[in-house]
Amino acid sequence: MEEKFDCIIVGGGIAGLSAAMTLARGNARFLLIERGEFCGAKNVSGGVLWGSDLARLVPNYWKEEAGFERFVNHRRLTFMDDQSAFSADFKSNHFNETPYTGVTVLRSVFDAWLADKVQIAIDESDHPEESFMATDILVEEVLQEDGKIVGIRAGEESFYSDCVIIAEGVNNLLTRQIGLEKEYVPADHVAVGVKEVLKLDESRLADRFQLQGRSGLTNEFVGACSEGVEGGGFLYTNRDSISLGLVLGMTDLKEKEKTPYDVLNSFKEHPAIADMIAGAETVEYSAHVVSTGDIRGIPSEIYADGVMIAGEAAHLLLNAGKAIQGMDYAMRSGILAAETALEAKSRSDYSGSMLSNYRKALENSYVLKDMKSFQDAVHLLHQEQMFSAIPDMICDFGRQFFTIDGEPTAKASSMMRASIKRHASYWDLVKIGLKGARAL
Amino acid sequence: MSTDQKGKRLSVAERLGMVNFRNQGRSDARAHIEVDTNICNTSCPHKCTTRVCPAKCYTLDEKGDVHFQFEDCIECGTCLYACDQGAVTWKYPHPEEGRGVNWSLG
Repeated sequence: MEEKFDCIIVGGGIAGLSAAMTLARGNARFLLIERGEFCGAKNVSGGVLWGSDLARLVPNYWKEEAGFERFVNHRRLTFMDDQSAFSADFKSNHFNETPYTGVTVLRSVFDAWLADKVQIAIDESDHPEESFMATDILVEEVLQEDGKIVGIRAGEESFYSDCVIIAEGVNNLLTRQIGLEKEYVPADHVAVGVKEVLKLDESRLADRFQLQGRSGLTNEFVGACSEGVEGGGFLYTNRDSISLGLVLGMTDLKEKEKTPYDVLNSFKEHPAIADMIAGAETVEYSAHVVSTGDIRGIPSEIYADGVMIAGEAAHLLLNAGKAIQGMDYAMRSGILAAETALEAKSRSDYSGSMLSNYRKALENSYVLKDMKSFQDAVHLLHQEQMFSAIPDMICDFGRQFFTIDGEPTAKASSMMRASIKRHASYWDLVKIGLKGARAL
Repeated sequence: MSTDQKGKRLSVAERLGMVNFRNQGRSDARAHIEVDTNICNTSCPHKCTTRVCPAKCYTLDEKGDVHFQFEDCIECGTCLYACDQGAVTWKYPHPEEGRGVNWSLG
């Protein structure tokens, strides 16, 4: 048998690169294979990378020009009806401190930058000539022998390793091939993300969104933006562009017979959005499936003899209403899978029971802890009222509350009663309020 | 790219015009998605791919039959999940012989 790697990583996205960085620092011999022309060439996200794991992988990353777009110190959640927008807005200097709690990214830029950092880590490791990152190569098969994963096949060539980390993304064909995911996965726990990146001169962008230096704004939207389809919208500021998009529940999109590109066009025409993107020019349109964060979407198991599944290939993602966390989960799961691989290497044991430590580490991390404790919030967000009646009611109240028209002004409580009457029922609200109070 | 997009609804074709594809010049690119349109056109009750695909790779003709072309596919994966009739077979596009996307920004 030809020489074996300690580990083969399939996929050069955030999960795969985070695993690679961890393996390089642990002086393992590994091969990372990416099918895109470069790391990031196939990857799309909203995208905000939340959390502080990036600082673990690339210390002092904030001192560099390249990599991320902007750090987030201004957050906004907006409820929309056809004509109005009612926002909860929070901006804080606390978020100016490093390590940042969130940065906006464009994946083709960010992942390529992170891959360069991994190459530096390989060069500085004990085996600079024995670890490789190969792009433009397609893994067609994950190889099994006696029920154990032993390597991969790309075209005519096979490569062998003690373990394989599959970090192939949400369209997890290889995970399905080895039987950790069903052959067909229904649309219930995924959504369709569509996005435009709109260029706007950096100084105009800064003026428009009140940005200083490299600070940035993230804005999520719920209500009319999705035209009655379950889901919501987002607007994120990049260096000299805006990422604007929608995440639409796939099953609901099917049932409501809407098309994602038309809903995106309507979203852009909403008065609140039109004002924010005025004069900005679309330079890229993209789309990708995204997990909804329902824990039932996670494959039956995320490890087996000789293999671990990381990132969105394992449907690790959480959207509990306050942020869409997918890339930070990819990062942490990639790190934990690689740490498990290093532990397996030190014990020369790559069995399923050894690699189950990956599952345990994820269970003990914020990734699966949060996914478990916020499931009620995930389900609450999927309720019809959350993306129709409630945003309409909030905007209706806002319009009354902020109207001064020379008539005697009603008390806010009676305005609220009128809004509720028009758009929902007290009973619905009590139910949602109770659920929300428990869920968040 | 148009110089002024204000007030203009971008069509799918205009949006795809901004996307870089692999092996764009290759006329014999190997398809990475195969669709058994027989299933779509005989037994599928919803033909949902003709609406949910963000790149409009699935279209309806005047008779209401589904047609599929892979050339505009941006590898989002929507049809992989959306088709519950077993009509869609997905592979990753081959880097040299296939099509597929090459994002500039992502």
